[in-house]
Amino acid sequence: MSKQALLNKVVKTKQRIIRPLLFFTIAPYFTFIFVIAFYPQYFSNLILDSSVSTGIILGLLLIILIWVITLLYVYLTNKYVEPIIQEIDSA
Amino acid sequence: MPSSHSGDINFIAIWMFLIFVTVTLCITLWAARKTRSTNSFYTAGGNITGFQNGLAISGDFMSAASFLGISGLVFLSGFDGLIYSIGFLVGWPIILLLIAEPLRNLGKYGFSDVVSFRLNEKPVRILAAFGSLSTVVLYLIAQMVGAGKLIEILFGLPYITAEIIVGILMILYVTFGGMLATTWVQIIKAILLLFGATLIAFLVLNKFQFSFNQFFNMAVATHQNGIGIMAPGGLISDPVSAISLGLALMFGTAGLPHILMRFFTVSDAKQARRSVAFATGFIGYFYILTFIIGFGAIILVSNNPAYLSEGGIIRGNNNMAAIHLAHAVGGDVLLGFISAVAFATILAVVSGLTLAGASAISHDLYANVLNKGADDKSQMKISKYASVGLGIFAIILGIIFEKQNVAYMVGLAFAIAASTNFPILLLSIYWKKITTRGVLTGGSAGLITCILLVILGPIVWVEILNNKNAIFPYKYPALFSMSVTFIGIWFFSITDNSLQAKKERKLFNSQYMRSQIGKNITGILSK
Repeated sequence: MSKQALLNKVVKTKQRIIRPLLFFTIAPYFTFIFVIAFYPQYFSNLILDSSVSTGIILGLLLIILIWVITLLYVYLTNKYVEPIIQEIDSA
Repeated sequence: MPSSHSGDINFIAIWMFLIFVTVTLCITLWAARKTRSTNSFYTAGGNITGFQNGLAISGDFMSAASFLGISGLVFLSGFDGLIYSIGFLVGWPIILLLIAEPLRNLGKYGFSDVVSFRLNEKPVRILAAFGSLSTVVLYLIAQMVGAGKLIEILFGLPYITAEIIVGILMILYVTFGGMLATTWVQIIKAILLLFGATLIAFLVLNKFQFSFNQFFNMAVATHQNGIGIMAPGGLISDPVSAISLGLALMFGTAGLPHILMRFFTVSDAKQARRSVAFATGFIGYFYILTFIIGFGAIILVSNNPAYLSEGGIIRGNNNMAAIHLAHAVGGDVLLGFISAVAFATILAVVSGLTLAGASAISHDLYANVLNKGADDKSQMKISKYASVGLGIFAIILGIIFEKQNVAYMVGLAFAIAASTNFPILLLSIYWKKITTRGVLTGGSAGLITCILLVILGPIVWVEILNNKNAIFPYKYPALFSMSVTFIGIWFFSITDNSLQAKKERKLFNSQYMRSQIGKNITGILSK
């Protein structure tokens, strides 16, 4: 593959990784904020007969989602993008 | 003041703080010998690993304000504290996905290098330096005032003495040790803070045999709002504020100069990537701890007379919840430790801010605008003068603003970062058609809008200037000021048909490739 083609491949691969991850960061976050602004009562529902509300569980899940997104990005980039960059170096 | 519990000064706090200062000053001496060029002054020689940098970044973020402030907010209103934590955290994937690697690949010391990569360097750097300095100074004032108040309470020192101690130590770290010392001070502090907060959370949960159900039930039974603390309270009530605050928190982080400059301390984009992943892990973990600490304080502090003043209100203010809780679960020893860590935290954060400010002055304004072609030696000299000057400036501002409510300043710093620094950085990396004219018009319009809206808004106009009604009704300006910046940059760029603009667009492809791959690929691109 020519260097030019490899460069394009880097850009394409990166976009394929970044776009969905960006969506799954921004969409849940703004949904969370919107529910707080418009339907706060939905977040007050208690889970089973505990004192823990849906809002708190979803908030904590959001923190975990953010972790998963950063780890996934590092994993996917190291696995799919780095090898192409190495190939450009050696080509 | 540790004396609030036992009647005399907490010597454990003072000893621990003295040990911290001694160790960090030794590190500064060591770092000073390695810091001989401007490059090592601002980037620690690029030798910091991704893991170390992740800790340092999380240290920058876990300021005393966020440790005490967020646990205090949870203590006061429960769930609402979580809204801020999540907002601050969600900025990190944005930095990772959009900013970190291109920034590392294109820049040298700061984000202004990236913005001026293919644009007209002089005016663009002046704008970027303005954006950086306003963010840094506002943040610095908030930290200095908070620091003085906190040290007054914890160590019983007069406010002015506290300001001077913080100012002098920060000048020593930055001027002699540069980025290397600042990074290690930040790493040590991050470890101490994570350890301390973990210990408090562990001791609290231990009291409930680690049963979260029992823990939350108890908090609900104790708090005056009862089950209300599990639901959204009054923090966000209208949709405009919701989006505005959401935007400022999410994109503000990606425009904070003292955070962005940390990406130049690692060797390459791969390490920059690792830094963010580690930082996000530490920061998220830390926010979960502050959540537990806030709820713990509801149970163990809010109805314990030892921590309440006559009227049944918590001593100090809500921000002291975590400190009182440390005493409640760990006695004088843990109280002393946490007090010392809070002091260390302030020192580390103000040092990072000062370094970022010095970089805007010496690298952008001096070496690239005022005295183009200045040699490394004179740039280094200016960097040190700038650090000393900023340090003294911070002490003076801290004293001037003592009696002011400065809580809005962090919000304003985030709003400016989100509405000036972040848009110009993002668009100059990804948008081909951007031109110098667009950046200058849009960027300065956004900066001015942001400052004006805060002055005319409810906090400054009504609460501080004592006017009756706010001219601008919302507390958070980001939605409006960010729109002004983006629309301004877009409009004044696409209508720009100058020769300069054509040249700038032509350079986009090679800049873009370099931002993605990290190498100069001029030889590779045939056209």
